[in-house]
Amino acid sequence: MCHRHRLAGRIDENGKRWNYNIDEAIYNHSVHRNIECRDCHSYITKIPHEPVTDVINCANQCHIKPPFAQQNFSHQKIVDLYNQSAHGITASDPEILKQAKPYCKFCHSNPLYTKISEERVSFAETLARCLNCHPESGVTQAYMHMTHRLRKRTSRSSREIVELCAKCHQDVALMKKLKVSATAQDAVDTYNQSIHGKLVRLGSEKAANCVNCHASSGLHDIYKKDDARGTIYKENLMKTCQQCHARPTEWFVGIAVHPTAKHRDSPLVFFMSIFLRLSLYGAVLTMVGLMLFETYGRRREGVKLVLKKGTSWHGQSKTGPPKEK
Amino acid sequence: MATSSETISETAAIPARKKAHGEDYFTYVEGVGSIPRDIYKYVKSDPLGDLPRYSVHIVIQHLLIFITFMFLVTTGLPIYFSDVFWAPAAISFFGGIDSARLIHRIAGFTMMFAAAYHVVTIAAGTLRQLLNGQFDYKRTQIPRLKDLYDLIHDLKYFLGIEAHRPKMEKFMYKQKLHYLAIIWGSLVLIAAGSALLFPDIMAKIIPGTLGKILPEGAIGAESYSAFFQSLARLMHADEAVMALIVVAFWHWSNVHLVPGRFPMQWTFLTGKITREHQIEEHFLEYLNNLREIPEEREYMRNLLAELRLDASPAKPSPDRQTSAAQPEESGSEDSP
Repeated sequence: MCHRHRLAGRIDENGKRWNYNIDEAIYNHSVHRNIECRDCHSYITKIPHEPVTDVINCANQCHIKPPFAQQNFSHQKIVDLYNQSAHGITASDPEILKQAKPYCKFCHSNPLYTKISEERVSFAETLARCLNCHPESGVTQAYMHMTHRLRKRTSRSSREIVELCAKCHQDVALMKKLKVSATAQDAVDTYNQSIHGKLVRLGSEKAANCVNCHASSGLHDIYKKDDARGTIYKENLMKTCQQCHARPTEWFVGIAVHPTAKHRDSPLVFFMSIFLRLSLYGAVLTMVGLMLFETYGRRREGVKLVLKKGTSWHGQSKTGPPKEK
Repeated sequence: MATSSETISETAAIPARKKAHGEDYFTYVEGVGSIPRDIYKYVKSDPLGDLPRYSVHIVIQHLLIFITFMFLVTTGLPIYFSDVFWAPAAISFFGGIDSARLIHRIAGFTMMFAAAYHVVTIAAGTLRQLLNGQFDYKRTQIPRLKDLYDLIHDLKYFLGIEAHRPKMEKFMYKQKLHYLAIIWGSLVLIAAGSALLFPDIMAKIIPGTLGKILPEGAIGAESYSAFFQSLARLMHADEAVMALIVVAFWHWSNVHLVPGRFPMQWTFLTGKITREHQIEEHFLEYLNNLREIPEEREYMRNLLAELRLDASPAKPSPDRQTSAAQPEESGSEDSP
């Protein structure tokens, strides 16, 4: 109603401008198009409403009843999963960490997803994602022809996912403040140096992005590597790699997905890279230098640039006796 | 040297140098005559090449390597330097990252095929020569101590200490060096490239085998798999960049920009080398050419006769010496 108006907004005490306009044309194409405002903004009981102080809770039940379900729909299941992950806030976290941890809205901004790939995702893979929220009963009747967004990949591209995670994880100052491990501090940088990172940056959808390895099909169950539930836990690596690599072995899973050529982590590779760089410069400079020196010597003996009239020795030698033209 | 007066001054100059530079200056060839070392300044050459150097197989191999190298570089560099501004443009030129990777692999396998083709050609040719009793290791790419001496000799020549270039075989020191570098580079690129393309298989082969032999933790805290994959990642890119820089700044300069080769040395298409180039840098191979090619013998005999060097070199007379010295002073002004 009110929020339909273009200029709905205010300037707060700090001079910050807030835009309260909601464009219906855009909202009606978003994933939440069938959800009424009040379903999420449940604290609003009358119109016009009081100044908003609460935040929305994605675990709310909305007034949508999925087919074959007894209850109204809710994101409760995924929120529970998320709260247990490395990103979930626990009581023992220090205040600074509590504030830094992202919540639903940090990643999910009710966006307009675009199709990123023409390939159809396999039914099993789609189903695994459906079951994150929905009950399995009636799946074949109801979801197979409804889940267009999941069958054709219309979501964030791999590149956007990396950029999303990098928002916090590339902020080394913040990561240091939160006392994450040294490896995790430059995880984004090392990933970008890996073949996965390079391909994703160039637009590949086949190479693994952050979530492909760090979460299961649940996407929200990101755990630290010493947590046995996590996909990157040592025992689970084989299964994680197997999503793309057909025949992983115990040697294969030992390969560093976040490679680093730093002295601290891999001194041998570090010295090797310096040695190779030096030999590159050495070889090129020696060879080009020899060529220039050779040209200098031959020019002095009377060689000219172009072979014409049957010879390139048109010039006069400076050391030997003269040569007639 | 068309007119007779020029020929006289020429004749006067060459024996004069013989005294200055010793007996090494003339090479006597049966049925041809005494060939002076700097005869290459007087011969006529066809820019397209006069004397055989490479068989058609080598020409095809070079073309294959050249074309695939171009594709490998243009698809490989933007992947390795994925954060530079032109990388996405280069990738979209090839139709996106997936097709760029496919092109890189196809080109890689084609280059490996060319390398295998080359090995077969060389092996078969060597075998044929061995069976005919014609095999001469001096005419091959096998490095010898002489190559080192040739290099020192050549450096002295460029400095002006030595009067003439060394007498070198079909492949001179820099070509042998480049050939060895290509062998090493190909092996590294193939091995490291396989580790990037088939990480699961290669991880089982290399670190899987070495891990059983070497003690745990011999290379520090890192695992063997991580180390070898990092090494493959590093070596594949570094060798490729080195190959590119060497080809772009050294090889192409040598065959396009160096005096006498500008604008292009046609050997890679015709398989032939120019006469002056052959005599200058591959004198001993030229002697082989004289032995094997009657027409070349004929040409050189006529040239020497024209220069009056066939039988007994004419003794330089004082007045001819001075007449020969005069054009040098006027001529040296326009040379840089």
